[in-house]
Formats: sequence, C-alpha cells, structure tokens
Amino acid sequence: MTERYTLTFQPGGVVVADAPRGETILRAAMLADLHINASCGGSGSCGKCRVKIVSGEVESERSAKLSDDEWSEGYRLACRSHIMSDLEVFVPETSRMGNAAVLERESRGDRKGRLLTPAELQSLVTGWSLDPVVKKLCVQMIPPSENDNLNDLARFKKALKDEFGLSNVSIDSIWIRNMPHVLREQDWLVTATVVDTTYGSKVIELESGSHCGEDYSVVMDIGTTTVWGQLLDLGEGVTVAQASRYNKQISYGDDVISRIVFSQKPNGRETLQQAIVDTINEIVDELVTESGIERERISHMVAAGNTTMTCLMLGIDPKYLRMAPYVPPADFIPPVRAVNLGDGIKVGRHVHLHTFPSVASYVGGDIVSGILGSGIFDTEQITLYIDIGTNGEVVIGNKEWLIATSCSAGPAFEGGGIKHGMRATDGAVETVRIDPVTYEPTLLTISDAKPIGICGSGIIDAVAELLKAGVVSQNGKFDVGLPSDRVRTADGSNEYVLVEARYSGTGEDIVITETDIDNLVRAKAAIFAGIMTLLESVALDWTDLEQIYVAGGFGKYLRIDQAQAIGVFPEVDLDIFTFVGNGSLLGARLVSFSKDMLKAAEQVARTMTNIDMSDNPMFMDRYVAAMFLPHTDMKYFPRMEATLAERAAGGR
Amino acid sequence: MTFQAPVETYKGAIRQIDVGGVAVGGESAFPFHSFDGEMPNDPKIAFEVWDIAPDDWSVTLNGVYGDTFGDSVAWAKKVVDEFGADMIYLRLRGTDPNGAARSAADAAATAKAVVAAVDVPVIVIGSGDVERDPEVLKVVAETLGGTKVVIGNAEEDTYRSVGAAAMGYQHSVVAFSPMDVNLAKQLNVLLSQLGLDEGSILMDPTTGALGYGLEYAYTVFERDRLAAFSQNDAKMQMPIIATVGQEAWKAKETKVSEDELPGTGDLVTRGLMWESLTAIALLVAGANIVVLRHPESAALIRKAISSLKGEA
Repeated sequence: MTERYTLTFQPGGVVVADAPRGETILRAAMLADLHINASCGGSGSCGKCRVKIVSGEVESERSAKLSDDEWSEGYRLACRSHIMSDLEVFVPETSRMGNAAVLERESRGDRKGRLLTPAELQSLVTGWSLDPVVKKLCVQMIPPSENDNLNDLARFKKALKDEFGLSNVSIDSIWIRNMPHVLREQDWLVTATVVDTTYGSKVIELESGSHCGEDYSVVMDIGTTTVWGQLLDLGEGVTVAQASRYNKQISYGDDVISRIVFSQKPNGRETLQQAIVDTINEIVDELVTESGIERERISHMVAAGNTTMTCLMLGIDPKYLRMAPYVPPADFIPPVRAVNLGDGIKVGRHVHLHTFPSVASYVGGDIVSGILGSGIFDTEQITLYIDIGTNGEVVIGNKEWLIATSCSAGPAFEGGGIKHGMRATDGAVETVRIDPVTYEPTLLTISDAKPIGICGSGIIDAVAELLKAGVVSQNGKFDVGLPSDRVRTADGSNEYVLVEARYSGTGEDIVITETDIDNLVRAKAAIFAGIMTLLESVALDWTDLEQIYVAGGFGKYLRIDQAQAIGVFPEVDLDIFTFVGNGSLLGARLVSFSKDMLKAAEQVARTMTNIDMSDNPMFMDRYVAAMFLPHTDMKYFPRMEATLAERAAGGR
Repeated sequence: MTFQAPVETYKGAIRQIDVGGVAVGGESAFPFHSFDGEMPNDPKIAFEVWDIAPDDWSVTLNGVYGDTFGDSVAWAKKVVDEFGADMIYLRLRGTDPNGAARSAADAAATAKAVVAAVDVPVIVIGSGDVERDPEVLKVVAETLGGTKVVIGNAEEDTYRSVGAAAMGYQHSVVAFSPMDVNLAKQLNVLLSQLGLDEGSILMDPTTGALGYGLEYAYTVFERDRLAAFSQNDAKMQMPIIATVGQEAWKAKETKVSEDELPGTGDLVTRGLMWESLTAIALLVAGANIVVLRHPESAALIRKAISSLKGEA
C-alpha cells in the first residue's frame, strides 16, 4: 500500500488527510476541494501555484518561476512538489481563490468519483477463479524408444491426458504437419495453447520448449467513438498495459445509425470492418510496444461492443438493426480467428476473438460486459448501471431481473463534437475549478502534462463550474457582459478561454464554446431521460435505487457531484455511487480470465430485457425537459437550486 | 344513493398579477370549471394596435380600421372607446430592420402617446427581430418609466436585456417561447434567475390558429396549466397571453374571397369565426388574455365568456 500523509494548509488550517505519497500538493489540494490557483494544468509552466513549505518533506524540481530567494525561503510550485511526508503548507494570497483572506474548502470532499483500484474492481465480482478459456500447457513427453514406439500425435495426446487430464483433445491439422520437428526440437518439451470449446479442448498452437507463464490476452472495448484495449497477463491475472484510440470508423459517421447507413454503400461494410481492424491493430501495436511483450505471446482476444460495432467488426451486415422490429443478426456469435477479420488483426493465426452476446439491436455486448464486470448480475441490491458513452446505455436490476435501454447521447462525453475535446489521455484537462469572483480557472491535466485538450470529465467539470460561477446560464448560454477577458465572442460565437495559448501544449487557446455546451446538454439530457423512462417502466423512483454504478472512459476521476450539477443524475446520495471506469473492459477482462465468466455473460444476456426508447413517446418529452442546466424540474436538484438562487440574489 | 360529481382539487393556482391596474389570472382550476375551483378574474380581451399601417392584414380588417391605420393613437382610442378593449397590445412592427426600420426613440414616442391617450393597460411588443428588440424595448422601458406597462417579447435570445430593462423601470414582461411546455418553463426560470419577480411575467407559449396547429397549442396550454395546478410548479403559474388575432388572420381562409374558395361562405363571417373559434378554444385551455383584431369576434368572445360562467 502507498503510504498516506496528512497535509495542513495555512492560513485557515484546512486539513487534507489521506494524500498518497508522491502525489503533487496541487492535486491533493484540488481533489479535496481546496483551491490553489493554477492555469497550466499542473505542468509547471504558469507559476501561479506557489506555496511555502512550512514543515515536512517534499520532492520538488527547481523552477524558473521561483527566484533564488524564494527557493531558499521554502517556496515551491504546488504542481511540481511531490508529497513525501506529513506537511504544513502556507498558501500565499496570490495563490488563493479570489485572493481570499483564508483558504476555504469549497463544498465537501467527495471522493466517490475516484476510479476504483484494480483490486477493488476485481472484487466487484466474487466467486470466480483464474481459469482462462485459453491456456498454455507445458508438456514434457518421454522420448520414444524401441519399447515405446507410440506415434508422435498419440504420444502428445497421451501426455496431455496423463499430465493435465485432458481427453478427447482435437488438434488443428497445421500443427500435426509440423509436429515431428516441434516435439523433437527441445527434447520433447513443448508448449501447447489449448482452448476450451463447446466440443472439448482444442490445441490451437504448438511451440517447442517452455513458454508457460508467457500467456497474454488482449481485451477490447469497441466503442462507437473510442476503442480501449488492455493487455492481460493470464497467468497472474493482472493488466500489463492499456491503450486507446478513436475508432477510425468515425470518418464514416458519428453514431451507429450513420455507420449502418454507410455500411449499405458499395464496399461500405468492408471499409468499416477494415477501419476497426486498423484501429485495433494500432492499439495492439501500442500494447506490445508499451509492455515489451512479444506479439506471439498473445493467445486470446475478447471484444465487447454494442451490437452495431460487433457486427461491423465481424463483417456481419447490420442493415436490419435499424429497421423495425429491430432484430439483431445473432445473440451468441462463436469465436472467430482474429487474423480473418478484414486484412487481419496482427496476432498469431491461432488467436481466437470472443465477442459478447447481444441482447437487442441497441443493447449490445458492451453492456452485457459491463453488467458482468460490475457484478450486478450477482447482487441483491437494486442497482442502476449507466455507461456514459456515445450510445449511453442504462440498466436497472439485480440478480433476479435486468432491464436495459440505450439512449443515443452522442460523443460529447468522450470529447467528440467538442471543439477542443479529446480522449482521456495525457494532457487532457480532467479537473477544473473556476473562481466565482475572478472567473479564473484552475486545472489539472492527466499526467500533469501541458494541456492540449479537454476530456469528458473535464468538460463536465468545466460546465458545472461555469454554471455555478454564473458564467453560463441554465440554458447553456454565456453571460457576455461579465468583466472577464476569458468570456469572449470569436467568429460570431461565444466562448470561455480555459487555457491561454501561452500555457497550452498546442500553442493555441483552449476554449469551451456555446456549441460544446449545447452538445453536452443534449448528451446529458439523453442519459437523464433514458434513466427516467426506464425507472418509470418498472415503477421505481430514484429513491428506490440502492446503488448506482457509473461507467465511462473518463480517466481516473469523474466528479459525481459535478455530473449532478449539470444534471446527468439527480442529487441522490453520493454514497450510493461507484465509478467503475470502463465497464465494458471490466467484463471483457473477467471473460478472458475465467471461463466460468464466459458462461455468466451468456446468463446475463439471457436475463436482460430490452426497452426500446425509439417508440416511447415519454422519452422525447423527458429529453426536452432535461435540456437545461441542470434540469427544467429543479425538484431533483435542491442543492443546485440553492446555489443558483444564492448567485441570483448575489446581485447580478 | 345520490350522484356526487367528482371534484378536482389542485395543489397550485395561477398567480394573480397586476397588468397596469387590471388584475389578471388568479384561478385555482381550469377556466370556467367553477365546480373545481375559483376564477376570480374574467379572461381579458386585448386589441392589437400597430405603430405603422399594416400592409398584410385581411381586407376584412382594413374595412374596420382603414381610417386609423398609421395613427396609433386614433387606432388605440377606437378599440377602447368603440370596441371596449380591456387592454392594448401595441406591436412596434415599424422597428423591424427589414421593414420600416423606425428608430427606437420614434417607436417609444408612439408608445408613450398611446399610453397617454387611453386609460387601459398597454402591452408594448417589439417587432420580433431578436437583434433589434433589446435596443428598442430598452428605450421604450425608459421612456415609459413611471407608468407601469408590460414590455415584450422576452425570448431565449433576448431575455437578459429585455428582462433587465423591465426590472430597471418596474415594468412587467411577456415571456415568449416556442410551443413546448419545457421551453416555456425554461424561459420563466431564466427570467426569475435574472431577478425578475415572478409576479411580473406573462407567458406567451405561442398560438396556433384553427387549422394551423390549434390542437397542438390547445394541448400545450393545457399542459402548461396542469403543471401549474397539479404540480404546483411556481415557474409555470404565470398568466397566459395568446396572440389569437395575428395567427387567425394569417390563415388563408381569413383572406381569400369566396370566389377563390367556393363553398366556404362569406369572407367576413369566415374571418371572424376563424378568430373567435381559435380564441374560445384557447380560453378554455387556460389563456388569461386573448389578443384579437376584429370587434365582432371580441363581442362574440365576451358573450361566450359570460355564457360559460353560467351568466344569462
């Protein structure tokens, strides 16, 4: 466990407990709702976050922003100072919000939006053991002799049976062709890659020598906008590397409907399949490069995607997905060889790719994977599961019943359709605070790199802060009359300058425009309306929910209270929320780790009932009602109502 | 057992607001549903008056107003003295930048003259051009400072400046929104966020005339009122003003002679029935003020109001 330290900030004596060793002072303060000025995302370039270390130990790099005198007096940049012990930190007036006399904690420390650790994530689902569907077995055979003249294949099969209890094993003919050499090359020691199929075990690869413990899989979340991949060590049951890319199919349409339309054009289906295969190949390349693990060691792939994405990846015609009565081509699709997709995914030809079963045309394998990975299929508690992505999926239920829907939210939460939007990767602004007096922002970026764009959680944070500070009104329009250069009109549209060019990694201003806010409002309205409609269809209210799982590609943090401030969810108790990060990957990991989970996934798909929003007249109505910040009906948002009323009374 | 008629009891009521000395709204149930609740104030009839001579009005109306067109004061006096208007709905169409493009000062002077000439409340409405309205209405609000009027329209794009102008000179506003319950509410929320008192907002939820969206308008009005009554939604309890005349007299059926539309009857009767039917439907759905153009429709509506109230 990482050691944790207590920080005391002066003036005001605000205590931040539980800061992990090595975290920067700035990050620890901001995540505890303590405001220290910073304009450059924590990259050390603006010099606004200077603090004085009164006592305790930090590891800090020398900055040109600090004079020799300042340095020797103990001044450091909060964003460049790593916590190495309990600390007492003095925050000078110039670093305080609105130059306030004392530091104040903004609301309350809300840590619910923190992404669970890998161990915590793994423990969401209990009762499974590491038993992958694909395994590498080291087989040592006794060499043939005059007394033991069994043929090579029979010898190999006998060893499998004697050592591993595997009988009735089938073998790809290609391996039989090479078997005489492979068996003898390393003195009758071979590694067999064996997959469990419905018809028994099958040897899909045979190598000479021992490669046990070198068994990896790639799991993928095939999103409409973003594709995420992880390289898993199947022996250890851990993640080795992670990578993401925007789905190259985006060039052919933003949402599933436009992709299906494109697939009907001449060569459309082939083009889209190749686009996703290219995307996957880039991710696999990065995973292999990042981890230093040889590509040949990948022996299994699992992909979770919505029904359209799954069809397009496998080359299945999705035409009828968008035609009433919206029947998908298949629910359970057998595994395919990865090399056979498009020009081929660049892995060994033995590697099979498992996909998740779909429930309906618009409730796909990704949501089945999420329900599996978050353990909802195994809980008593009435749970709401929301995957905040382009095809926002919502599920309510528990181990007894599951009801699901999807509501097309658009790509805003993934940074799509946002002027300076980006995926949750290095340099993405992920946390934003805006001073309600000076309208100056403070930001943190992923990896404390120079800001180059804004990811989903950053956009949610920014809009929530702009709303609370009165920079935008509840209809998402800027108040251009404010005394701040940050709110400006450019090219006929209003915008807020989040990062000035001199602090950005792109050399340009990073802004949030009214169009960005419109897109975000539409996206969150679709999610809220979807949840409301689904709840009502099972005669439940928000207050009946015992837990809420939020999934989405948001990086490490998603501030649930900020998501509430803009109306993604109502202001229900923060304690019932859990942020699980990428839900589809969670399930895909489990399936790769444990063949029991493959069966569980099928069970989830069978349990789930789909409600179609497209023929639900109430959905549209609720959607329009939610197209406001946070909502037209403030009864779900008492806290925001008070905040906004206070601001209105504040004399503007 | 004797039959007991069911009674709807609602949690909320419409605000009673003061429009230049005339009380509007205040009902605790749908209009004329005296068995469910109170309707302390009769719905009001406002007459439309323009600051310039209209060139697109039906010949039927030209027959009524022809000699006063172009003289807003005379026009206003006529509708008050001869037609018994409860209010004047003064449309500053002349300020439209694509039309006469009158200056804000000229338009405000017209408004001031009209206000001085009549003793009924005046609602002053811009041309509807969202670029121009804020500027014009600001000058109007200032020029009429000291006299309580209603200015409008405050729309999503203009509510900040129009709302601020109204607050600055203690006027009320008309909040004009597209035909949608939520959008109507959003605008009311935005106006009150601005600091405008909820008791100084009239809502215009967009009117559709007979044959041109009346059913939809009816449904939206009714849902607006249900939100106010059943859900006691304070942001939806503003009285409703319906611009019936301008919509009804836009319809082809109110402009085209019987020669061109055989079998549809006399043009004059057709026009005022078109206006009257639209008006009565929307009054039943919850309108507190109907803005009309033809005196005979006004007379018919007055009679209908009285009959619906159970008076002789």
